[in-house]
Amino acid sequence: MIYFDCAATSLQKPPAVPCAAYNAIRTKSSPGRGSHRPAMRAADSVFECRTRLDDFFNVNDPEKVIFTSCATHALNIAVKTLVAPGDTVVISGYEHNAVTRPLRACNANIRVAACPLFEPDKAVEAFRRMLPGADCAVCTHVSNVFGFIMPIEEISRLCRQYGVPLIIDASQSAGTLPVDFSSLNASFIAMPGHKGLLGPQGTGVLLCGRQADPIIFGGTGSASTLDDMPDFLPDRLEAGTHNVPGITGLNCGVCFLQNCPEGAVLRHERNLMRLFISRISCIPGLHIYAADDLKDQTGVLSVISDKLPCDVLAERLGSAGVCVRAGMHCAPLAHKTAGTLKGGTVRFSFSPFNTPQEVELAAEILKKILCNA
Amino acid sequence: MLQYLLMCRSLTYAQRASKLLERSGITAIVSKIPKSAAGSGCNYCIKVSEKRLTSALEILNTSGLGPSRIFVMSRDGSVSEVTE
Repeated sequence: MIYFDCAATSLQKPPAVPCAAYNAIRTKSSPGRGSHRPAMRAADSVFECRTRLDDFFNVNDPEKVIFTSCATHALNIAVKTLVAPGDTVVISGYEHNAVTRPLRACNANIRVAACPLFEPDKAVEAFRRMLPGADCAVCTHVSNVFGFIMPIEEISRLCRQYGVPLIIDASQSAGTLPVDFSSLNASFIAMPGHKGLLGPQGTGVLLCGRQADPIIFGGTGSASTLDDMPDFLPDRLEAGTHNVPGITGLNCGVCFLQNCPEGAVLRHERNLMRLFISRISCIPGLHIYAADDLKDQTGVLSVISDKLPCDVLAERLGSAGVCVRAGMHCAPLAHKTAGTLKGGTVRFSFSPFNTPQEVELAAEILKKILCNA
Repeated sequence: MLQYLLMCRSLTYAQRASKLLERSGITAIVSKIPKSAAGSGCNYCIKVSEKRLTSALEILNTSGLGPSRIFVMSRDGSVSEVTE
């Protein structure tokens, strides 16, 4: 099997990740619920991961690192905190449903700062036009469909200039691109643990630049006689027992990334994508959504064939052992912006564990399928 | 030797304080605070020895991780708040 669906979930993990998760199930209980050994072992593991994330994203305060169940959960907290009904919210043209649906649920007035694919300067201009008078902005760091890297530093600077709080969706960038919480100065940065951070499913992270409102209420192991949730982080946003196996595994995933040379993951994924593009660009009727300058794109590549609908192509690739994703990728707005809303795309997304041999073989399989179609 | 309990608002806060002190060579054990001293319930503290209390407080206060309250635990396990 060749797994090229890492933009959904990274399947291959560092070996320490499943080992740590398994060990946690056997030996660790609930953090913050007692002083006995299994509880304190769990507390130590959660704290170790929290401080590692604090360091990795340059937060400078581990209490601002919140564990959630996924990026969607984290984004919902951020949106619910900052957006009131009727508020005007500026979003990029490449947002995921994890952003647009919570905004619609809040009855926000959404302004889309749309720009053509792989044109970061136009993205900045679009935000510059839309931000005046807005109450909030939400921007993905990288499009989950096209791997388009948004100029998040410039957008963040514009938001500061106009006094608009910013939520960054780092779902596709965390673990691949540098994400510096302190210099981005966002109100919130949300991310999953199970994609680029190489942790298990069921893990997510919210980095908080300000106080936030909980969306889940319950026990925290602190201030228990109060009727309300504690007013301090992280407890305010972490009701219920933590996903200790997941967080313990996530700690190992981030540890692996910390030990990689700087920029190595992105270089590797881009090299694989460059190789893949070179092998498939000769296929007749295949449209490849690649940036002219690969500095504007991560290792995520969408294609469309004139010969087969996306779902059929993905199905045939899957039958031949190549795992990819087809369709909307939960981001219809991105497809609308890029002009692929009608049929969606087939997405290939690479990980640090994919090899050039896998890329060569997948390209051959893709050629065969489309030549025989 | 008497043990002092430095009350923290949360487990994470207590863990941060403990790590900070341990980096300075001061043993500081994270523990649940006894119910009689818990106030709003289920709080955590760090335990430090009488001998290291002054230097521990100096380090914590300098780093913005000072305790919300301080208790002393006598040999029979009873605790009382240190007011000054």
